[in-house]
Amino acid sequence: MTGVLDYSKGNSIFHNMNPVTKIIIALCICVAAFGADNLLFLAGIVALDLIIGIISGIKEKAFSIFKGFVKISVFLFVLQVLFVRSGNTVFLFVTDDGIILAAKIVLRLMGAALPLTYMLTVTKVSDLSNALVKVCHVPYKYAFTITTAVRFIPVFINELDAIIEAQTARGVEFDTKNAFARLKLILPLCVPLLMTSVKKADSSAVSAELRGFYLRKQSSGYKEYPFKAADILAIILFIAFAVFGILM
Amino acid sequence: MIEFKNVYFQYPHGGASLKNIDFKVEKGEFVALVGENGAGKSTMLKLINGILKPINGDVVTAGFNTKNTKISQIAKHTGFLFQNPDRQICCQSVKEEIMFSLNLLNDMTAEEKEERAEKIINAFSLNPDENTFAMSRGEKQKTALASALASEPEVLILDEPTTGLDYRECTAIMDFVKKLNKEKNITVFMVCHDMEIVMDYADRVIALAQGEMVDDDTPENIFRKKDVLKKAYLLPPQITELASLLGGEFENCDSAEEILEVLKKQRKGEL
Repeated sequence: MTGVLDYSKGNSIFHNMNPVTKIIIALCICVAAFGADNLLFLAGIVALDLIIGIISGIKEKAFSIFKGFVKISVFLFVLQVLFVRSGNTVFLFVTDDGIILAAKIVLRLMGAALPLTYMLTVTKVSDLSNALVKVCHVPYKYAFTITTAVRFIPVFINELDAIIEAQTARGVEFDTKNAFARLKLILPLCVPLLMTSVKKADSSAVSAELRGFYLRKQSSGYKEYPFKAADILAIILFIAFAVFGILM
Repeated sequence: MIEFKNVYFQYPHGGASLKNIDFKVEKGEFVALVGENGAGKSTMLKLINGILKPINGDVVTAGFNTKNTKISQIAKHTGFLFQNPDRQICCQSVKEEIMFSLNLLNDMTAEEKEERAEKIINAFSLNPDENTFAMSRGEKQKTALASALASEPEVLILDEPTTGLDYRECTAIMDFVKKLNKEKNITVFMVCHDMEIVMDYADRVIALAQGEMVDDDTPENIFRKKDVLKKAYLLPPQITELASLLGGEFENCDSAEEILEVLKKQRKGEL
């Protein structure tokens, strides 16, 4: 099984779209999520994100990412509810304003973050950087930097897993239920993770230079990324959706 | 010391699997696990220290059934040396690294820990204040091994301990492990791709192919079984291959000295 952010093969409508279209779709949904103030509409955005995940054929991954965000959202929700004091008291010190604001924040977070992560799982990193260069005329070194940063996230997650496994074999008890104790155990692992990350980044930079990184121009890529009718239609639809979100 | 009882294991997402693995390693044995990439060697090591649990069958390490024992409990009796020491080393100095192991596993007084750390540092001729992140690969491997041995484990598990090391560093580490195995009767279970190392140091070889055990024998015997070598994609040590090709009286020679001895005897007309 690949990591949650790794590319998932497929032949869905979203897989076949131009990478730039997918970026625009994800950004439109983000704009709608941040522009909208209606709780139901925000919940609808999250539902739309999940539908996009299902249509893309990455149902399992989509729900796995969703579950990850739910965990963060619960923490944010509780934090927000604890600190907002305005509005009518519902229970102890919890106010209705606090609950509504907390719900909006977590729905916005999920609504904006999910399409970006789904977009990464249905787009090859190489296509993403090449399309940014060919279509958006972004200088290759910037496109490469962006896509490399994205590509390295699952690499670092795997590396952290391997480090945790190595430390578990030494007797470090990561399965402790005490969150603070677990945090205390994980913190020293940042050092080997940082060291291996720096080494990996350094060897990648050397490898790229040796393969003529600075010789690459906009015309170096042979693959073209034309906009098809489906791309244009999707862009129009999602821009309209973003505008609708702002007006809500 | 290590026992696999009809073990079956498969990763949830497929990948390498182990089928019908059944063997027992006695205390003080030096066992090498060999086989091609993806044969299930690293999976087997993870089953030994309880990181992975068997789907069917049982794995018993140092008297503990891994199915119902915490990894930290098994870790008190096992030392694990990973292929990549960068994943293992997490403290800045050699002494801190060894103390990290001692603090994790043993209920010892501060003085006892200090004493144990000093003893192991001296045994490995390490500099206690040296920055672990600025060390060479060999030095890091040595530090990781010292750290694994600090708790005086009964079982030492080595996952390709000589990968990336030059001949000098490789023999230094393997000589030390062999010395511990002989003098302290520590059980060593090692995954290795270098058949010269296996021939020189191991007492017993378990060959794996596609998740199944294809043989369990002495290195001298296993490297002469052509069918096993073919199944497990193994290349025997050059000297064994040469002895095999020469045939006749040379057939059973396992070192250059033995071949020389046969030649001398032939010259004298004793053979």
